Amino acid sequence: MILSLAWASLVRHRARTLLAVAGVAISAAMLLDMVMLASGMRVSFRSLLLAQGFQIRLAPRGTLPFDTDATIPGATAIMSQLKARRDVVAVSPVLGAQLHVERGAASVSAAALGTIASVQGDYKILTGRAPTIDGEAAANDALLSATVARLGDTLSVAAGFDPQLRAFTGQRTLRVVGRAHFIYLAAGERALALPLTSLQAMEGASRADRVSLIMVRLREGAAVEAARSAIDREIPVVSAISTATAIEQVEQRLSYFRQLAFILGSVSLAVGFLLVTTLVTVSVNERLGEIAVLRAIGVRRARIVEQILIEGSVIMLVGAVVGMGLGLITARYLNSILASFPGLPEAIHFFLFQPRDAWMALGLLAACGILAGIYPAWRGASLPIAGTLREEAVA
Amino acid sequence: MTENGVLVSARDLERDYSLSAGIVHAVRGVSLDVRKGEYVAIVGPSGCGKSTLLNLLGAIDEPSSGTLTIAGQRVSGLSDREATLFRLRNIGFVFQRFYLMPVLTAIENVELPMSEAGMEKSARRDRARELLAYVGLSERGHHRPTELSGGEQQRVAIARALANRPALLLADEPTGELDARTGAEVIALFERLNRDGTTIVVVTHDEDLAKAARRVVHMRDGVIVDERQR
Amino acid sequence: MFLHFIPLLLAAQSIDSAPPHHAPRTVAIDERLARDAGLRLGDTLVLTPMPGGAGDTVIVAALVRRPRDPSEVARGAYRIRVHLDELQQLVGYGERVERFAIATRGSSGADSALRAIDASAFGFRAFSSREIAVESSTTFLVVSRFHRAIGVITIVASAVFLLCIMLLKVDERRRDVAALRLMGISSGTVVRGVVLESALIATCGSIAGVGLGALVSAFVNWHYQRVYRTPLTFSLVTGDIVVIAVGLSLGLGLAAGWLAAQRLVRQPPLSLFGR
Repeated sequence: MILSLAWASLVRHRARTLLAVAGVAISAAMLLDMVMLASGMRVSFRSLLLAQGFQIRLAPRGTLPFDTDATIPGATAIMSQLKARRDVVAVSPVLGAQLHVERGAASVSAAALGTIASVQGDYKILTGRAPTIDGEAAANDALLSATVARLGDTLSVAAGFDPQLRAFTGQRTLRVVGRAHFIYLAAGERALALPLTSLQAMEGASRADRVSLIMVRLREGAAVEAARSAIDREIPVVSAISTATAIEQVEQRLSYFRQLAFILGSVSLAVGFLLVTTLVTVSVNERLGEIAVLRAIGVRRARIVEQILIEGSVIMLVGAVVGMGLGLITARYLNSILASFPGLPEAIHFFLFQPRDAWMALGLLAACGILAGIYPAWRGASLPIAGTLREEAVA
Repeated sequence: MTENGVLVSARDLERDYSLSAGIVHAVRGVSLDVRKGEYVAIVGPSGCGKSTLLNLLGAIDEPSSGTLTIAGQRVSGLSDREATLFRLRNIGFVFQRFYLMPVLTAIENVELPMSEAGMEKSARRDRARELLAYVGLSERGHHRPTELSGGEQQRVAIARALANRPALLLADEPTGELDARTGAEVIALFERLNRDGTTIVVVTHDEDLAKAARRVVHMRDGVIVDERQR
Repeated sequence: MFLHFIPLLLAAQSIDSAPPHHAPRTVAIDERLARDAGLRLGDTLVLTPMPGGAGDTVIVAALVRRPRDPSEVARGAYRIRVHLDELQQLVGYGERVERFAIATRGSSGADSALRAIDASAFGFRAFSSREIAVESSTTFLVVSRFHRAIGVITIVASAVFLLCIMLLKVDERRRDVAALRLMGISSGTVVRGVVLESALIATCGSIAGVGLGALVSAFVNWHYQRVYRTPLTFSLVTGDIVVIAVGLSLGLGLAAGWLAAQRLVRQPPLSLFGR
């Protein structure tokens, strides 16, 4: 009966109820987006880093991976040292460079990764195979379309330009043996992968036995932090970074978004609260006479409060459900804006939906709805019956 | 039930209101007994305290002093929760302005107190139909109050007041908002209720309603000045 | 010359502990490095390209304040300024540099210099400072677009909230409005009254909002300048922004009041009494 009364009261003022639901929906959408933003970067970055199972990354001392053009010297010796560790399962060296790929009279530049195909964790082969010997390369779709090339075609590439001779240096002809998707690159960035020794040779003496990054995969159950700390200590030319550290560093740079998420999320919740409080207060004030009569005929105060709270909660819950849908749409839009950050890997999402986020947002809204309605409901149900009836009669 | 069939026993009831202009003594030392099956009308000029007295008898207001016993139970001094439960089970209240829930149909309005008392759905629906038939509105059960005339609304309100078979039916100016003809219908209904055994106390300005009562209590300035048996 | 791409390790040593290759040259270090490493003018440092490797002894001759560069904000890297030839020698760069910055005479001088340099095909390209600024501002353009999107969502949300609350508040007084209408007061007068009221509320709200916005902006700057140790201004409240914000809030407030009032006066007075 109380449920019927609550529902009937909501339906009685349709426009008001619908607007309140719309208001709560927007609040809920904003809250969900901010909850997603608060954790999205961290979760998607973590997934990206762990996608190929490498838990530790070694970069030139004092730098982050590919943050600078610096390289690690004595790569061969370092790799042997790492492989000798009992907790290390795989070691993947990577050398990064910019290559020029000739296209008729002009050339296009492309990011090049020199890797060891059997242990690499930077790309996935879509068609064909990974390059294993000198003269082979795997290219991504962006490069293939820029050079109008296909699987099996050859590309003329150069590592640099000599201004004295006014000619390209470190030239090679590479056959495209594979079409690849590069995991850590931004969308649309042209790239190719070739054997590490090939790229080192192309780059000349300045890159002999040098790499940009070494990725380390530990055996299952190994203590990541202990391994990281030992490697960092034992190899002075590198900084060893665990996934956790890398995430922390990136989060520090993007801490602004987490703070914004917290502030906007709190504001959304506060506004939703205000809306429901106002709605419940007005609704109660309009029905003081009815409430007094209910009390007069023997309906308990708690039941009346329950009815009013149900009204507020229904608005909050319906609004929240609608808001979840709206929030997913706006999150997609906002994510598409932030995804255009230059150099951001395609796989990184700022707004990442996790069911836990939806539950958290729903839970917060539900609690908010109940809290928002409690005081006005209790106040309305506690007014003196006789006095209220008299005032309503006069009014 | 108290001795000698007295259902309501009020002794030296007082009700004072503290207002900014001073203290108003709405009811001053009123003592009143109502026997089971009686039909009592309380009359008097505006502001004499008759509605206040009715509110005290209905346990919707607390006396400043004095005692009130209804159906053998001391009502003055009950907690809010106890008073609410007492009203639900023992008192039926009819108001001048009907105060039906506009969002519920007539039959749902009648069911409301029964629902609160925990009666099972089909049982309360049957009783509600029975009560609406008693008040002559069996065909209007599914209409909302806004679709009913004033007289019909008041009859629904009376049916609602009888829902839990109360020992005492209290009515505050039940014909106040009705025209003469519909007022007469309501007066006839009260007479019928009383013949069927319901104890009724009404507060009224309506002479016809007062005449229908078997005992008329006159109040002035918060005290009972006269009582007459018909 | 920007040195952020070269990892340099600084070791503070006394002048006696490392035999100098030549007479120590001078360097300038940034304030942040000086503060964090406890360095002062006149201190001696050893610069090495690799940890534990041989290096050059230098003397701190100046402390440099960083420019207000937004792209540096979240980076914790330290900066030192070294003589060009010394750095080239230290890191084995030979006679190479990463870029030249060229100052030209007059506004047309830049364009003609750009064309001449590009035509020479030395294996590099010339860019105007504006082109570089646009390219390096991409990150901030993205942030700016994001802020704008959030702003639009906030405005839409505010409009809905405002309308909802105005509707509730006006609805609360529907019996009063009904009584006025029955007395013969025209619906136009009622609407004007409600709109005037909402205009007053919107005006007060706008003034309060501008004040609050200015306070929050000051706090944001104070907070982030502390966190990132930069003199950069993060939040700016300009006259244009105030005008837009006040205009929007006034407009929305008036519109909400008008809509709510219209809804009320369109209903017959008796129905407002619930009959």
